[in-house]
Amino acid sequence: MGCNFRCLHCQNWTISQQFEKGEYYTEKELALLIDDARRRGCRNQNWVGGDPIPHIPFWLRVLLYEKENMPVFFNTNGYLTIEAMELLRGIVDIYKIDFKYGNNRCAERISDVKNYMEVITRNLKLAKDYGELLIRILVLPNHLDCCLSKILEFISKELGKNTRVNLMDQYTPHWRAKEVPEITRRLNAYEWKKAIEMVKYYGLTNVIS
Amino acid sequence: MWYFIRPDAVSALEDPKVIEALPRYVDIVKNKKLAKFRICRLIPVEISGDESMEELWNIHKKLMNEYIKLEKELDEGKTIPSETPKFSLLHLKSTIAQRIMRSCILCERRCMKNREEGELGYCKVGKEMLVSSYFDHMGEEPEIVPSFTVYDFKSAELAWDAISGASTVKTGL
Repeated sequence: MGCNFRCLHCQNWTISQQFEKGEYYTEKELALLIDDARRRGCRNQNWVGGDPIPHIPFWLRVLLYEKENMPVFFNTNGYLTIEAMELLRGIVDIYKIDFKYGNNRCAERISDVKNYMEVITRNLKLAKDYGELLIRILVLPNHLDCCLSKILEFISKELGKNTRVNLMDQYTPHWRAKEVPEITRRLNAYEWKKAIEMVKYYGLTNVIS
Repeated sequence: MWYFIRPDAVSALEDPKVIEALPRYVDIVKNKKLAKFRICRLIPVEISGDESMEELWNIHKKLMNEYIKLEKELDEGKTIPSETPKFSLLHLKSTIAQRIMRSCILCERRCMKNREEGELGYCKVGKEMLVSSYFDHMGEEPEIVPSFTVYDFKSAELAWDAISGASTVKTGL
């Protein structure tokens, strides 16, 4: 999938199954497509993946050919190195970072990543400094106290109560989610209500939900 | 026609909450400011190509200070220079990124695979990027749509799985 995570509940796994073809585009061809998109009213170029991190070298070359003034929307899990962050400084206009977990144990268990909290919190602070930040949180069932609460607390205390956050309730178990017993169902109404209460408790003022 | 699908997106750029969080982005969309990469392309760089990685990073650090200064000046209304250098800060970034691929440390796994030679990292991405689809995304936050979105695959190998997967579904129908 071109991703540096292995989330057992990956949603894009099913999306990727729907793709009918994969093609090589030259940097120049992709730049032309992006320029066209801007002319017809698209607001940004949205680099996804998998995750865009492994594709940074390619994207930088695409930008060399672009002619229009198209903002860069970096749609990432945020698990990149300082070196990569430095390369993206002066490139990325909006860092859209998924804040998935509130502790390292859940991150390692579900997405196979180490030192998640150290990396994500460092990069969130850098992203805020280097550009503009939009955080997405997909609320996982049974992960409100261990994850959501810690995530919201960090945002409120370290990034600012006015940080723009998209709180999402549409989690559905995909791919290998059945291997993680507590996330084999959707979020229930009680949990969503509790999530909204947590947002209020931490005083966040710019939340889409 | 997108405004019929996402009427909330039409006025999103005037929403005070959006402007508060993403003021510069809103201005770029309205063409009142330059996207950051366009500013990078205005900063000239002179390198021979023989520099060590350490030297390239040192040049980068120095030029990023120039970048920050120029972004501020342009945002405050300075006229955009009419001439762009042949080799810019964006080229330098691209050169460094390419060099990193020889022992890849882009993500925090730091798997150090030689992707330039086609080795696959943990991410299963090698030398090239394979585009699986692109489209005008309507499902993002209101201020973001329509968003020209590019999905990519890890490698030819997975693309083949997906191609055969898709065709299997098709013939199955």
